Amino acid sequence: MAEVLEIQEEHHADLLPTPDNGEGGEKTAMNISYGKTMMWYFLLSDAFTFSAFLIAYASIRLAQAWWPNPNLVFKSFPGLGHANAPLAFVSVMTFILILSSVAVVRAVQEGHRMNQKGVMLWMIGGIVGGAMFLGCQAWEWSHLIAEGLRPFYNPFGPDANGITHLVEEHMAVSPGPIAFGALFFGITGFHGFHVFTGVCINIWAFFATANGTFQRRGHYEMIEKVGLYWHFVDLVWVFVFLAFYLM
Amino acid sequence: MSSHLSEEQYQSGVKAVWRATAILSIVTVVEVAVALILGPHLPKLVMNTFYVLASLAKAFFIVGEFMHLKYEKRAFMLSLGVPLVFLVWAIIAFATEGHYWNILNHPK
Repeated sequence: MAEVLEIQEEHHADLLPTPDNGEGGEKTAMNISYGKTMMWYFLLSDAFTFSAFLIAYASIRLAQAWWPNPNLVFKSFPGLGHANAPLAFVSVMTFILILSSVAVVRAVQEGHRMNQKGVMLWMIGGIVGGAMFLGCQAWEWSHLIAEGLRPFYNPFGPDANGITHLVEEHMAVSPGPIAFGALFFGITGFHGFHVFTGVCINIWAFFATANGTFQRRGHYEMIEKVGLYWHFVDLVWVFVFLAFYLM
Repeated sequence: MSSHLSEEQYQSGVKAVWRATAILSIVTVVEVAVALILGPHLPKLVMNTFYVLASLAKAFFIVGEFMHLKYEKRAFMLSLGVPLVFLVWAIIAFATEGHYWNILNHPK
């Protein structure tokens, strides 16, 4: 018995590529490392969570006779007061998130070249973009809350012609479909929570890079895994943007 | 992914990323422009079809280029893509049910 164990141990030692912590390096049948495979399958499960929310949104919205027009709900821009700028601010937010995602792709590419300074520089870009997005979302939320939108109260109701109209005074019955607020805060909030955790993870990855952790390890696979999560946040925003602001 | 890339591979990778960035930006600008200019004049169904197709195109570039899936093994792509087929059923089923509630609750 002891002999068998010894042989197994020897065999196992052969499989370990380097004396590091074993993260990365080992290849699976699909020629992708264990860590990246697991990140992908986590993101697949997360995609189902977001899909469930968005499909619930679609079925609730389709069950209503009337729904607020996004061009008339999301028309404010910071510093422009009561200016009518439909979709302008959310387009800026979309650009910020895309550019932040691009910065992290560039960090991954610099990691393949073992360029520590390059990874650090582009990670800062990704972190700043993510923080800016969160700031924009905070402004958008506080603006809508100031207009009276709550999870269970929706001030955007139809006027006599069915055009979206903001009812300033608080009514006993919600002027518009009640679910609008709960769905908006719930889904953009869940996405915002992903952005927040992504920014935290990116900050950690920046400091690990600055400490030379990945340089010593001999590869920057951790930046790739962190990057996958960050791009997923951008991917989800494409569909949140579609469901809430375009359709 | 090898950590030793040739200069040529690196340059072509960087180029591919900026190309995807340009496409994502252009698609977003076109979406918003269409929503504001054509939105009030065209039927809702036409607009929504356009938005869905444009969003799927954006998703394709994010997943393929930024998340590098385009360069992974085909079996791996299928292991992620095939489960998502269930969503097609879910969208059709729940949209139909939502529409049915609408008819029940708001009879003409």
